[in-house]
Amino acid sequence: MEKPITFSGGQYQPLEQKEIQRLHDSALSVLYNTGVRVDSEEAMAVFEKGGAIVDRNSNRVRFRPITIENALRNVPQGVTLFSRDGLHDLRLEKTNVYLGTGGAAPDVDDLDTEEERPATLKDVADFARLVDALENLHFYVRPCTASSEVPREYLGMNEFYAAISNTSKHVMGAACTVQDARNIIRLAEIIAGDSDALRKRPFISFITGLIISPLRFDPEPIAVLTEIVRSGIPVALSSAPMAGLTSPITLAGTLVQLHAEELSCITLAQMLAPGTPILYGGVPSMTDMHELDYVGGGVEFGLMNAAISQLSQHIDVPCFNSAGVTEAKIPDMQAVYEKTFAICQCVLSGSNCIHHVAGMLESLMKVNYAQMLIDNEIAGMAIRALRGIELDEDRLATDTIDAVGPGGSFIASKHTVKYMRTEFYEPFLADRHDYETWRHLRIKDIRKRAAREAKKILKQHRPMGIPPEIDRQIRSELKIYSRGSSQ
Amino acid sequence: MNKDDLIKTICDNVIQGRRTKDDEGIDDSLSGTPGVVELVGEALAAEVSVQSILKEGLSRGMDIVGKKFEANEYFIPDMLAAAEAVSAAMDVLEPHIMKAGLEPKGQFVIATVLGDHHDIGKNIVAVLLKGAGFQVIDLGTDVPADRIIEAANKNNAQQVGLSALLTTTMPEMKTTIEAFKKAGLREKVKVLIGGAPTSKEFAKEIGADAHCKDAFEAIAVAESHAGSR
Repeated sequence: MEKPITFSGGQYQPLEQKEIQRLHDSALSVLYNTGVRVDSEEAMAVFEKGGAIVDRNSNRVRFRPITIENALRNVPQGVTLFSRDGLHDLRLEKTNVYLGTGGAAPDVDDLDTEEERPATLKDVADFARLVDALENLHFYVRPCTASSEVPREYLGMNEFYAAISNTSKHVMGAACTVQDARNIIRLAEIIAGDSDALRKRPFISFITGLIISPLRFDPEPIAVLTEIVRSGIPVALSSAPMAGLTSPITLAGTLVQLHAEELSCITLAQMLAPGTPILYGGVPSMTDMHELDYVGGGVEFGLMNAAISQLSQHIDVPCFNSAGVTEAKIPDMQAVYEKTFAICQCVLSGSNCIHHVAGMLESLMKVNYAQMLIDNEIAGMAIRALRGIELDEDRLATDTIDAVGPGGSFIASKHTVKYMRTEFYEPFLADRHDYETWRHLRIKDIRKRAAREAKKILKQHRPMGIPPEIDRQIRSELKIYSRGSSQ
Repeated sequence: MNKDDLIKTICDNVIQGRRTKDDEGIDDSLSGTPGVVELVGEALAAEVSVQSILKEGLSRGMDIVGKKFEANEYFIPDMLAAAEAVSAAMDVLEPHIMKAGLEPKGQFVIATVLGDHHDIGKNIVAVLLKGAGFQVIDLGTDVPADRIIEAANKNNAQQVGLSALLTTTMPEMKTTIEAFKKAGLREKVKVLIGGAPTSKEFAKEIGADAHCKDAFEAIAVAESHAGSR
């Protein structure tokens, strides 16, 4: 397998340069005038030591612009998300684009019975195996959670274990508690060999939701972050306000608040460990004004997440955002048009690390196996759009046009053979047959074809896995719930 | 190279679509080595039997190419390159086939009908038929019925393939079939039709023997006709 070729985005820019500056300045003024609430004495102490203005009566922390700027100066401009096999290392910087899964859906549609049921560790493992095989998904975040099966203190570690044993691509995930974070880091150390080897090539990274919008730090994730930054493992600092409920209804207002939240998170992380690798984890969404429900399938979702990419580029921090969310309950037309919009918007904006891309339905509440393969196809087309029209002497083809001549055909020309495998994106699932052939297909519905392919991959694909002796060591030290390493 | 190696190398070069040493091939693994034409010459000089060259070299190669195509590993241009390699080898082999007293698969006259100048599809069918071992008499485009009949008669063809892309030239297929009837030759040939606007229903309507939706169906139909002779 070849290394994924990196493509750069940035063609789509919902914000103009001066608008980005204005948003940034507005966020700085929010951080100075309003500040954030921090219900953790430890964190307030860190902020105070770092030069923030702390009011212990109201647990309010405010920042002078210089405090934020100093913190930003310490942030590494690029982060590499390493893979275990070395073939899928992702360099997150500038406008490089990578896509992956994600979510913490409680439910899945069973691949065999097609019935909705609670998600399990086996689903976390099976989706990892699919991602390992699907070429347009570059990293894995578990799309569903096994919280129905594993107690909270062991949950993150067991999800990581199920993921790592089924894909050699980079695995991102969450730690529920400080002990869970310690266990996850220990798990990764055992697999890497030791803590130095892990620090050198961290093949896992964390996602922490530090902020409860608007502008309030959640104490437990702060403790988790404190643990993570000691290990040198990269961490995405996520914040996910809903426009109209937990942030202003206007897209600009949501972006101002989210940018302020991100800047305060980044500042905390850098105060805890200067130079620690972090991702700007802006995941803005909307609120349904009829039922107060989460909305991720609207076109504004793509607009805002693309803007996140621009805001993070503005401060030279790699970004972690979202596309692929839909309110559709089944893999239907609504699902694919909502997903396609946001995936294109984020990809073309040059988002470094786009999660939620594949499999999600029902506002992130459910994962569907067939949908994951269909979304991989959408991702492939988006990446091809990003690649654009390559233009050089040979591709301009004037010699070939001359050789074939008026009235000829290009089908048998060497030029055709040379480029036919790379110029066109080759879909896995799309039907391109003529009507007669299609009419005689046994499986006409793309959802059925996608489900069949998912079953095939799960049956045939053999990921790298964890060597048995290392697996034994893991199981002797840590509380692993899944029985086999799914090999 | 001994005889077995020669035959295997011919087969490998068919899979790579290499007519001569100048062809790069589908990947460049055989680049610079002799192609099918040179190898068939060598094999004949080494007294490898014509039958072995045909069966274990060329046909086997095409079978593997067909499988790769079905597995989506090969694209149509790969298939055409392989068929052209076989076709070039057949030109070298033809006199020897006669000498060895082997029965060729038969003569196949192919043409785009009167008024129609579209030939991409027809050319693909012609190349693949040659690659499958037929002797193909390609009359080109805009061919009137009497010229098709003349060529079929002169070459003692068992099969005739008619192509049309335009809905306005489709009726010429019927005219051609009627002309075969008038000339008293309809029973001597199988008529295959193809082209984007044609269909099984249309073939039935005009009294053709078969409609082929693509080049691969054309080969399959031609093979089955040749087999039932």
